[in-house]
Amino acid sequence: MLLHTLNRSPATSRVYQQALAAMGPEDRLLLVEDAVQGALPKLMRYFTGLEGRLFALREDLVARGLEGQCDPSVQIVDVDGFVLLTEEAEKTVSWY
Amino acid sequence: MRYAILLLAAPYTNQASHSALRFARTLLARGHQLETVFFYQEGVQNAARLASPPQDEPHLVDAWSALSREHGTALQVCIAAALRRGLLDEREAARHGKQGYSVEPPFELTGLGQLIDIGLRCDRLITFAP
Amino acid sequence: MSHAKPRDLLVILRRGPHGSSQLREGLDTALVAAAFGRTVTLLFMGEGVTALVADQKAGPLGQKGTAATLEMLEMYDIDRLLVEASALEQFGLGEEDLMLEATAVSQASIALEPASHRLVLVF
Repeated sequence: MLLHTLNRSPATSRVYQQALAAMGPEDRLLLVEDAVQGALPKLMRYFTGLEGRLFALREDLVARGLEGQCDPSVQIVDVDGFVLLTEEAEKTVSWY
Repeated sequence: MRYAILLLAAPYTNQASHSALRFARTLLARGHQLETVFFYQEGVQNAARLASPPQDEPHLVDAWSALSREHGTALQVCIAAALRRGLLDEREAARHGKQGYSVEPPFELTGLGQLIDIGLRCDRLITFAP
Repeated sequence: MSHAKPRDLLVILRRGPHGSSQLREGLDTALVAAAFGRTVTLLFMGEGVTALVADQKAGPLGQKGTAATLEMLEMYDIDRLLVEASALEQFGLGEEDLMLEATAVSQASIALEPASHRLVLVF
């Protein structure tokens, strides 16, 4: 199982498509920086098929005023959780 | 675990340097080792000795240096990417006949081969990018 | 898995030539790894497929671009070049338009690549 991180908003950059294409069936995706916009219910459609494997970084949501607006299916983790995700994954691939 | 960080983005332009620093401090607090931060592409700007951000903003260059002093983390800067962008230590400045220098320890100029080496040797390599 | 023994480095190139240093500095990483005897795979995704277009030239100020670097790959024993099939289609390019021989791969095979390399770098 690999961890993929994405830092670009799916509303602006198509790099999320490449991240999704390179993900294995067990791999996880963590949204960080501007990509946390993807946790909003209206933007969740970009990440269909990732149920239970989609995470967003809490402090990037909080900084943007978006913490209370997330889709309930996204798992919100703090930076400690980010490190934990990298511990659990064999390796991490960063998409930007 | 032994971690390494690859930083590809300039400070104060993208969030990546802040994200990387935050991640670095957190992994150390969780008891991991941070062997190396490798600066490549625009990330080499993190080594700019003369960076003088406003006092109410985080001083990233100083923060990396402090991290290195406190935890023994190597701060390795790709020499080819750095020279192109005007980031020279004392030795390279003398070699290129330049007055003054823009990189100082604990940042060290090194070859790209180091990145491959740490990437394959450490348990985890995490990239932060623009 | 597609390989019994994991290869060392997967470099994913997703930018075209000339517009930024991403492609050049990604290729440099691949060359250095190969020079140190590591097994390297290049995967061209999205806009990255345009890196392989034949007949590239230097820029007007003599900017070298990346075509010359690509021509050196064989000398460094980097011979596993993959290109995203859907990106070729998106850009209207065929394998005959490319300056090097690269294997067009489907999304399903792309998803196998990161796990079969020890280190993955995206540029």
